[in-house]
Amino acid sequence: MATATETKPETNFLEAEPRQPGNKNDARRVRRSGKIPAVVYGAGKNAVPVSVDPRQVSRILHSESGHNTIFDLALDGQRSKAMIVDWQYEPIKGALLHIDLKRIAMDQKLKVLVPIVLKGEAAGVKQQGGILEQVLREVEVECLPGDIPSHIDADVTELVFGKVLRVADLPHGEKLKFLTDPNQTVAHVTAVKEEVAPTPEAAAAEAAAVPTEPEVIKKGKQEVEGEGAEEAAPEKAEKAEKQEKKEKK
Amino acid sequence: MLMPKKVKYRKQQRGRMAGKAWRGAELAFGTFGLKVLEPGWISDRQIEASRVAITRFVKRGGKVWIRLFPDKPVTKKPAETRMGKGKGAPDHWVAVVRPGKILFEMEGVTVADAQEAMRLASHKLPLRTAFVQRQGAH
Repeated sequence: MATATETKPETNFLEAEPRQPGNKNDARRVRRSGKIPAVVYGAGKNAVPVSVDPRQVSRILHSESGHNTIFDLALDGQRSKAMIVDWQYEPIKGALLHIDLKRIAMDQKLKVLVPIVLKGEAAGVKQQGGILEQVLREVEVECLPGDIPSHIDADVTELVFGKVLRVADLPHGEKLKFLTDPNQTVAHVTAVKEEVAPTPEAAAAEAAAVPTEPEVIKKGKQEVEGEGAEEAAPEKAEKAEKQEKKEKK
Repeated sequence: MLMPKKVKYRKQQRGRMAGKAWRGAELAFGTFGLKVLEPGWISDRQIEASRVAITRFVKRGGKVWIRLFPDKPVTKKPAETRMGKGKGAPDHWVAVVRPGKILFEMEGVTVADAQEAMRLASHKLPLRTAFVQRQGAH
């Protein structure tokens, strides 16, 4: 299992330039110049707004260890260990918009999310025709920065219908401590119903059973209105009787 | 057909669709997805047609998630009616989508099958869409 610090040379370095803190207009100006706004914090020091090259960041995020990569951050001629703790993508084209960088002390334990990779073909899929569904894709672990694994391999070859792979079943050494609930489901084999074209009779019956309009939620003073209506009803009856009497006269 | 069980008001005004989908724009459940690239309304019938197209193509092969819900009523006046006399009766339901929104997600199929299923689904929709997949999926 590769660790976060064992990365290629180009992914263990990030150059950052300080920028003036500002509003979204300033952030847009930074993006137009080909960089992206970022912020560096952690290790008991003040937060520093910086700008970084999105290509370098993208290279780090797409590396084997992904966002858990620990790299050298060059800022103001000083180098310190850092990692990416948050990142934002633009929803349509997927361009990077902003990242959060955290200074790392190599001797202090960290809480990080490590991806889970399912290995092998589940018996429930191979023999029983089910579908392997991965419910949990990342698990939160606590460990020293040097011990962060790039991913956790989970063997699913013996997974059949009714059997669930839980966080407690994931392989881990003494260096890692899982913070996610050990009973949480990681993966299981499910069955999927085949879509059958309904007969015209069944379709008609289904359409008749479904109401055309949903129920409208009535206002809160419904009971008061009801009481008022009950009181008003005898008054109306009395008026009607009086009118009838007048007509008879 | 998808529609709300309860509503506070029977009719709604049309509203605006400015901006991008900052929420619901990333894959949350499956490995593959269909992302919408322009704003618009997607009706309950279009959602159902897309869902049927996906599930019939993959047969027993995969799991599908629907990430949008038609919660907006659209009213319509009867044919050959004079204008005025108030707003028409509720006719159907639509989901308001902004560019970037993930409409459907899939898991348990190959990339090629997912692409074909999403292509078939996209032909039932009135908006431009794009196929997306999780990083490292193959």
